[in-house]
This record gives sequence, structure tokens and C-alpha cells, in this order.
Amino acid sequence: MADDLRTLADEDLMQLVRRGQAPAFEVLYERHAQVAFSLAYRIAGTRGVAEDVVQEAFLALWRSGARYDRRRGSVRTWVLGIVHNRAIDALRRAHVHEKRRASDEGLEDRLETTERTDVEAARHEEAATVRRALDDLPAEQCQVIELAYFGGFTHTEIADMLETPVGTIKGRMRLGLEKMRHALGAGQVSLG
Amino acid sequence: MSTHADWADSAAAYVLGALPPEELDGFQEHLAGCPDCRRAIEELRVAADALPMGTHQLAPPPALKGRIMAVVESEAELLGAAGAGADRVPEKAPRRKERRAWWARPGFALAAVALALAAGVLGGGLLAGDDTRTIAATMEPDGSDVSLEVRGETGTLVVRDMPPPPEGRIYQVWVKRPGQDPAPTDALWSVNAQGDAQVAVPGSLDGVEAVLVTDEPPGGSQAPTTTPVIQASPA
Repeated sequence: MADDLRTLADEDLMQLVRRGQAPAFEVLYERHAQVAFSLAYRIAGTRGVAEDVVQEAFLALWRSGARYDRRRGSVRTWVLGIVHNRAIDALRRAHVHEKRRASDEGLEDRLETTERTDVEAARHEEAATVRRALDDLPAEQCQVIELAYFGGFTHTEIADMLETPVGTIKGRMRLGLEKMRHALGAGQVSLG
Repeated sequence: MSTHADWADSAAAYVLGALPPEELDGFQEHLAGCPDCRRAIEELRVAADALPMGTHQLAPPPALKGRIMAVVESEAELLGAAGAGADRVPEKAPRRKERRAWWARPGFALAAVALALAAGVLGGGLLAGDDTRTIAATMEPDGSDVSLEVRGETGTLVVRDMPPPPEGRIYQVWVKRPGQDPAPTDALWSVNAQGDAQVAVPGSLDGVEAVLVTDEPPGGSQAPTTTPVIQASPA
């Protein structure tokens, strides 16, 4: 693979991907596969499903690169959006939803203890900043954000689960994200 | 008519993907005319988009990259052969049910014979050039225009309006000789955005009873794992 490609920004690589250049796609894969796989695994909870989701997402990037619009966000955000949607779909298809509904506490337990030995790379500073921003949230705000984003639950489902009014759940989501945004701004997290 | 107050707290749920389907359309409609909500979404999305990076980072298995690149490189080769006008294949494709050992069924031999007879008739009437025969092929499910162009002992499959293989799969060409199982070839391919492709059948067609196409995992298979989507007899 030409080293020149590794110096290009994602958006420039996407131009080459649109023209069918596999080496440009390979650079994008190497840049974003880890966070994509981590997200898919966090949501789906199994390695096999995570691999399927990542494969589908990157092939969508390869085949549908023309749909990418840089004005709507970075390539990473776009890929991770696909991964998120497909992982949530897979989760719902697998009916894991019902099992989780029984105990929202089990969500974190399961994710923290499954295949822990597969952690191969230390969290870099960017990931640590995001994690800190999440951890610093009040527990009830962190909980609703995680249930929504990683668990695929709607605000009404979360309200039922926690026996809390929908308005309160929506308010916790808003407050939590606002605090995170400020914390990330202070930590200078790049989302590109 | 809904007001901003009705939706003020929905922006966070929206960026988290947590709005129920029955609220989604209404919120998106409101969003189109509400700069405050659009601004709120822009701000909150900064946090939501960062969430994937807060997960424990796991290295994907190297084999995953190998599988993805096998598909990408096969399609890139096809796109290159198709020229600059070629576009990407559509993303979605219906998945076909897998069946086993279809070539061992009695019906296959009968169909192949019928195909050979039909090809013989068509071959006489569809001469495409001095020494090129264009043979109609069968397509499953029907609806595409598929033919096998035979020149001497070599052949090229020409397809029009064919759906791409299911996601994560690729088309593979097989050659079947009488009394034998289908032999794999290294012709792995897909179609362009219009559903078109031209695929050279590797090797000689001498003694070949049927040219077949199945969808297979990236990198192809040693024996067909699905029923053929294309059957053509060069005889």
C-alpha cells in the first residue's frame, strides 16, 4: 500500500474510494476498524455479531461512498453511525432486548465481564477522556444515556423499565449530554 | 399543531436514537421549522458522537480485515474492468436460502439436458459474430438478462439487471462436466450499479456440461454452498 495514502485525510480517501480504489479503503479500515469493532461488540455483546456488523458497515462504506456528505459529519461519524444502527438492529433481532429489560443492571455486568482478555489495546487519551466524561455524570444520567445508545431502548421503554416519568428520562438524557459536551470541550476530544 | 415546548426535550433522545417510531416523524417535521431544536441537536450530537470512543477498545481479528478486503479487491477489479463509468453495487440484496448438493439431484441433469437442447436451437439463431455464439442462460429468480457468449473454447457470461450478491457474499463461477461435481473457478465477481457485468469463464469449455454461478463467501468456496443463480450450457 502506498505510504502516501496514509498521509491523506479521511475525506480525501473517500474521494478515492468513490473511484473504486481498494488501497484507499484499506487505510480507512485501518483507521476506524478498532473503534467500530469496539462499538459493535459493546452493543451486541458477542464477537461473531460484532464481526458481522463491522463487515456490513465497511462494505456499505465501500459500496455506498457516494452517499457520504462531509457537510453532515466526519467519515468516522458516518461509519460509526452505520455500525450503531446495524448493531442495534442485530441486538433487537436476537431478542436480547427482553432479557435486558428484566434487569438494566445486568447490562454493564455482562459487558464488563465478557471476553475481557480480548482487550488488546490500552485506551488512548481520547477514549479515556470520553470515558471520564461519562463516568463523571450523575449515575441516573449516565444510565439513561447508556440504555438508549448502547442498549437500543427508546425513552418510553426506559421510562417503563425504571418506573420513571418519560419527561424525567428525556430531561436526564439532555442534561447528561450537555454535561458531556462541556467536559469533552475541556478535554479537546477530536471527533474526526 | 405542535409547539417548540412540546418537543424541547426530545432533541437528546433524538441524537441517542431513542425516540419511539411514533414520535420520530413528528419531531423531524418540527425540526424542519425550528432553528432552536436544530441548534440543540448540533450541540448534543457532539457528545453522542463521542460515545463509541468511550467503549473499551478491542482490536478486531485480522481475519475480519482479510474477509472484507477480499470482497473489496474483487469488486475493485471488476469495477476497473468495467471502466470509469461503472458505479457501486446497490447496498441491499435479498439473501437466498441455502440448499445442499443441488447438483446431485436428478432434476439438475434433466434441466441441463433441456438447457443444452435450448442452447443448441438458440445458438444457431443468435450468432453475434463470425465465431461467437450467444447462448441464453437461465436465471433464478427470473427477471435478469443473462447469456453466455462462446468463442471457440472460451466463454464470457454477460448479465444485465442482475441483483448484487447478498451482503458479505460474492458471486462465483463453476464449471460442471458430466458425472462430476461442479469444479470451482477463481472467477469471483459482482455487478455494477446497473446490475451489469461481463465475466470471463476461466479455462476451456471443452466437455463442459454447464457453467454455473452461485453466491459464496468472500474468497469463494471449493464446493457450492447455495443453489445456482445462473445456469448456462455451452454445448
